[in-house]
Amino acid sequence: MNAPMLSVRDLVVRAHLGDAARTLIDGVSLDLHKGEVLGLVGESGSGKSLLCRSMVGLLPSPSLAVESGSVLLEGRDLIGASEAEMLKVRGREIGMIFQNPTSHLDPVMRIGDQIAEGLRYHEGMNGREARAAATEILAQVGFPDPARQYDSYPHEFSGGMRQRAMIGAALSCNPKILIADEPTTALDVTIQAQILKLLMSLRESRGLSIILITHDLGIVAQTCDRIAVMRQGQLVEQGNKRAILSAPQHPYTKALIASHPSLPDHPGPAPGHAPATPAGTPLRPLLEIDDLYVRFAVGGGLFKAGAKTVSAVKGVSLRIMPGETVGIVGESGSGKSTLARAILGLTPLSSGHVTFDGADLAQNSRVALAKLRREAAMVFQDPLNALNPRLTVGQMLGEVLKVHGKDPASIPVRIGELLDLVGLEREFADRKPRSMSGGQCQRAGIARALAIDPRLVIADECVAALDVTIQAQIIDLFRELKEKMSLTLLFIAHDLAIVRNLCDRVVVMYRGEIVEEGLSTEVFANPKHPYTAALIGAIPDIDPDKPLLAVIPPGMSSAA
Amino acid sequence: MSAETFAPSFAVQWRRFLGKRLTLVAGAGILAFFVFLAVAAPLIAPYDAISQAADARLQAPSLLHPFGTDNFGRDILSRVIWGTRIDLQIAVIGVIFPFLIGTIAGTVAGFFGGIVDIVFMRLIDIILAFPFLVLMLSIIAILGPGLGSFYIAMALVGWVSYARLVRAQILVLKNSDYAVAAVSLGYSRTRIMFRHLLPNAVAGSLVFVMSDAVLVLLSGAAISYLGLGVQPPLAEWGIMVAEGQAFVTTAWWITLFPGLSIVVLAFGFSLLGDALGDLLGVHE
Repeated sequence: MNAPMLSVRDLVVRAHLGDAARTLIDGVSLDLHKGEVLGLVGESGSGKSLLCRSMVGLLPSPSLAVESGSVLLEGRDLIGASEAEMLKVRGREIGMIFQNPTSHLDPVMRIGDQIAEGLRYHEGMNGREARAAATEILAQVGFPDPARQYDSYPHEFSGGMRQRAMIGAALSCNPKILIADEPTTALDVTIQAQILKLLMSLRESRGLSIILITHDLGIVAQTCDRIAVMRQGQLVEQGNKRAILSAPQHPYTKALIASHPSLPDHPGPAPGHAPATPAGTPLRPLLEIDDLYVRFAVGGGLFKAGAKTVSAVKGVSLRIMPGETVGIVGESGSGKSTLARAILGLTPLSSGHVTFDGADLAQNSRVALAKLRREAAMVFQDPLNALNPRLTVGQMLGEVLKVHGKDPASIPVRIGELLDLVGLEREFADRKPRSMSGGQCQRAGIARALAIDPRLVIADECVAALDVTIQAQIIDLFRELKEKMSLTLLFIAHDLAIVRNLCDRVVVMYRGEIVEEGLSTEVFANPKHPYTAALIGAIPDIDPDKPLLAVIPPGMSSAA
Repeated sequence: MSAETFAPSFAVQWRRFLGKRLTLVAGAGILAFFVFLAVAAPLIAPYDAISQAADARLQAPSLLHPFGTDNFGRDILSRVIWGTRIDLQIAVIGVIFPFLIGTIAGTVAGFFGGIVDIVFMRLIDIILAFPFLVLMLSIIAILGPGLGSFYIAMALVGWVSYARLVRAQILVLKNSDYAVAAVSLGYSRTRIMFRHLLPNAVAGSLVFVMSDAVLVLLSGAAISYLGLGVQPPLAEWGIMVAEGQAFVTTAWWITLFPGLSIVVLAFGFSLLGDALGDLLGVHE
């Protein structure tokens, strides 16, 4: 093969904090060829984002420094380059897109102008030329009406469209290399599939080289030519995609592949666990939702409150038997979190009924709420935000036990038991959330939910913010707890693969309504509703030969 | 390229670290010094602060009277030392009540929202609509001059900034997952407000306490200067400045030393507030 476009040799980046120096990038070497897509995989903190930032001289903190090594862009070393030279490289030769398009787009600048800005600065175009060129780029990245949308602001677009705009801005000056840092992590699966397709088609049409940073091996399998696996600042393995996926050498790569939830033909939960609910069993459902509506007032003011309403949940009916594990899947905005909050009495119901163990939340709210507070608990998405930063784990658990009237003498023992139950060392009782990792925080959050000995646990996207291997651990923990404590679990997720692994029954929500429900195995094997089919098709499978389907289900348009 | 151009040298880092610490140490040091003066005033003040001496009027600084004497022959150094007691008291009491009232009002307004919030916020708007000193002066004029009236006026007017600061924080925090978790676990509203939300919301106002102490100190001095606060012949820096005003061209020392004391104490509070902000991560 001819000489690589970009070549990183023995790059070392260190952080100097106080008097200690920590090595964050440890002798990484890799090559990127023209038109190639390189997947950079690793967990958060493994240094993959930092590696890419050091390539373009954008280290996030002044205490970080490149100590040795080189980054050669077509033979020129970028490490020694002056800031003025780097300004020409960034945008013009290396473009970057990031995970969260919302925070990387200027909220008070028109979408088109943000793309045109680069053109005027780098290419020296005048206003009219830049506008025409930017409109053309908007069309290329999939804006349906670029001439009009040029003048729209970022908040008028959905997350997927904002990410398209970011890609447009990054591509405006025709860079040779695009660094995409977790570009689809914040997006729904179907949108993710569309963005990945867009990136691939741009690669074809422009001969672009792409470094795709991701934690999802499925994405890598679907899009990349080569894979580089990073861990703790080191490149543990790199090579051809198929070679690495089929015969990983490093134990970490093996673990990563094994923990990928979309393992083909996973058997799913043991069929014996499927809740048999034949007619005639005297079993009463633990939770019964009947024609539930939750509406929010939009706009309006002091004197015309509720001038307009939006229904987040529209006529949902659902029965959950004791001991069942039900997954609720759907994309963001499908109303699944609102449903969870409504069930727990955290959001007022507009109409319909939620009956928890015989107590009706709408008719007899005081009794039902008291019951819910005692017997139902929630696990949240963002583990750090879900814990009070000022309390240690022990204080937090102790408080739950105290409020729920446990004998004060028994509390320390119970805290120990709870920590054991969620697999945290006992010494965590004295730690505060800030000194814990995301996975540890989530375990503490689960311990808090279990402290009240709940009958129902609602987990709202509780693994979405965690790394894949940690995700797998938390899912295992739930599976274990479910069996140990005969919990009824309502598991809300946008990740279908996880739901398929954990849940007996699955409910698919779309725009506030349940479009499909049934046993997980059946729903995933032959989805009946086109939306479910689209969701399943859009999961990037770890098998590179299973093509990614970016189907837009009928009646659904992402260009909102 | 050599290695040392990349990383800041050890000496630079040490100085950076020391620089942060220095603010804290200097601020706390200045405050500690004034507290010491206030506590030990009877022991270290060379003369009585109130008794007059007709034979020692308007003497320039000398070994006998390091800060000079005023028009009644009172030793300025002794009066400055005794004045520390009153001025520190003004700064501390003048801040504590607004802080307590404002923090609680802000927490309640932010947490309950709706009509409670509207009532509090309109009240704050009304108070803010008047110039600060005009409002202070009218309240003191109604209550009658004196330090007690000053504290009451300060509590009535000063709480609004704390209430706004805390309310804004509570509004953000009450939607955080841990607040929702607390609700879902059946915690009482009082517990959620004061144990979960308030401790996380209060950092900003703790820092503000320090800069507010400066403002209170200055307004205390201003009120005394106008004759509505501390009454003569008590030694208070603001009065001393006022009394020296008539002699400022001939006997500058009467005005200068109490004025300097105000500046240095205010500086100490500012430094401490800055350091506290860094420690509590408010500036981030």
